[in-house]
Amino acid sequence: MCRLATSRELESHSSKLIARSPWLFLMFSKILIANRGEIALRVICACKELGIRTVAIYSEADRNSLHVRFADDAICIGPPQLAQSYLNIPAVISAAEIANVDAVHPGYGLLAENANFAEVCETSSIKFIGPHPEVIRLMGEKERARAAMKQAGVPILPGSDGIVASEAEALEWARQVGFPVMLKASAGGGGRGMRIVRNEDELPGLFKSAQAEAAGAFGNGDLYMEKYVEHPRHIEFQVLGDEHGQVVSLGERECSIQRRHQKLLEESPSPQVTPELRDQIGAVLCKALAAVGYTNAGTVEFVMDRDRRLHFIEMNTRIQVEHPVTEMVTDVDLVKSQIMIAAGARMSEVLMGPVVHRGHAMECRINAEHPEKFTPSAGKITAFHPAGGTGVRVDTAAYAEGVIPPYYDSLIAKLIVRAKDRNEAVSRMARALEMFIVEGVYTTIPLHQKILADPDFRAGNFDTGFIERYLAKNGKERV
Amino acid sequence: MSFCVRFSSAAGVAQRSHRKRMNQKELRELIEFLIEKDIAEFELERGDVKVRIKRGGEHVFHAHAEPRFFSVPAAPPTHEVGTAPVLAPPTAPAAPAAEPVPEDGLHMVKSPIVGTFYEAPSPGAPPFVKVGDTVEVGQVLCIVEAMKLLNEIESDVAGEIVKKLAANSQPIEYGQELFAIRPRK
Repeated sequence: MCRLATSRELESHSSKLIARSPWLFLMFSKILIANRGEIALRVICACKELGIRTVAIYSEADRNSLHVRFADDAICIGPPQLAQSYLNIPAVISAAEIANVDAVHPGYGLLAENANFAEVCETSSIKFIGPHPEVIRLMGEKERARAAMKQAGVPILPGSDGIVASEAEALEWARQVGFPVMLKASAGGGGRGMRIVRNEDELPGLFKSAQAEAAGAFGNGDLYMEKYVEHPRHIEFQVLGDEHGQVVSLGERECSIQRRHQKLLEESPSPQVTPELRDQIGAVLCKALAAVGYTNAGTVEFVMDRDRRLHFIEMNTRIQVEHPVTEMVTDVDLVKSQIMIAAGARMSEVLMGPVVHRGHAMECRINAEHPEKFTPSAGKITAFHPAGGTGVRVDTAAYAEGVIPPYYDSLIAKLIVRAKDRNEAVSRMARALEMFIVEGVYTTIPLHQKILADPDFRAGNFDTGFIERYLAKNGKERV
Repeated sequence: MSFCVRFSSAAGVAQRSHRKRMNQKELRELIEFLIEKDIAEFELERGDVKVRIKRGGEHVFHAHAEPRFFSVPAAPPTHEVGTAPVLAPPTAPAAPAAEPVPEDGLHMVKSPIVGTFYEAPSPGAPPFVKVGDTVEVGQVLCIVEAMKLLNEIESDVAGEIVKKLAANSQPIEYGQELFAIRPRK
């Protein structure tokens, strides 16, 4: 674990900063949030606490959104469709220019890991709150990221040495690595362009279909190969790097409760990660990421095999949906940290001391979906009463009489709890789910309640196959 | 105590970041000097860089109503630094923040992009159109500049310009109404 010096208290009023503190950085006076929904609101919260003016952008479908209401200024940038609004780089940059902002926060998804967007920001003299474009690119090409981490001593899964150019090469590698293997797209993730291959006969067909899917989804059909771990757990590490070469690890999150590679529930600490493993991986990550010049927030994803060994999979060069889980166990405001780092603050000014983990935190992603069929449920929310009370945090942009538009993702709210240990966190989450009222649209709250009640989940005994097995077992049960 | 600092440069946006780095330290020293000597207003011109610092006494509070829009002075690109709760006094008339009431029979020309509205092809040239003019389909009504590209906005109907709803150099959002035209029958 990296050590930190004690720091001064940061004062939010930047002119006082200028007058008094000798190590300064000039805080931004205005930021444009290039996102929507709950994460846009999250960034606005951080900016308000730092005394920074906010500019929201919105599509015509989001005119009555909370992020628009709470920003200091708002600019309509296009029609509802993503490609013509939130993903429309000229529109976003044009808005940033006419609003005369100092920086842009990209949130997660959308343009957050788009190196071209980061570059256009730089050229337009707008600070992109995230890593440099070349680093985004490096980590965005999964196979290159793997090679870079391997070189720095981060454990990775056995696999191909680079892109697998043909079926023949794939066969050779598969024989070397040993079946089962996983073919993966180098240019993207989210489960697309991925195929598990269990034997030689399956390989040619699966190789072709993985290539086609990758080419369709990412415009690039390049594949690489990794050993496939049966019943893996998904463990990810949160990191922060300042722009002066220091990288810090803030510990792990366990994200094995997933459906079709989409996370449903996350927690920290992981029931399977020991303090020694946490420190060991943290230390090697700090070194590896400092070596590639990583700055700002990031998450390093691993799979854990049945022997409790961690293997690097990929890195996400942005703030993540489940970042509140880490915030709750470390008392570090990750979004404020991002902003301060981008403004030039040193790690000692961002973190007030060594990172300490206390208690247990858990998050449920509540989606506007049917809890059994998972069909998206857009429409008007007729009643909305989020859970509250001890140790409960709700990150949401939903509100009563608000409309969930059909054009965007279905996340309605993130329900996060913090408790003194995992048992209390489980009972607190169950209590909070019971007291969370959403009417007018379907939500996945009933599914989360069932997960929380499951004895294997309660025992910490699960892997990424948990949800599929659970649904298969309980599919016919009425909600 | 608050500060409002404005940098203006004829050299344009491209050199902004370099100039920003160079002036941060100087700016800091300048502000410390102002505080020390209790100076209220200060102006400095050096080469093509002009610095004007004004210490504001009051905070301007903005009630959170519907999303507002603000106008930018019709000057070369400026960079605002510091907390500056005092808004820059607009040199162009402010755009209406609320949605204008659509009148019967009038066709509203709306901006298809985000950018800055210009009424004429270049500074000092006569405007493309004025109220009372008759326009044809495809006729250029104005320019909306986005990322240094000047986009000509064409009329989609033929008729008479009844209202001009945007001011020169005004920031424009997507869908913002620019002109009201009474279509020819």
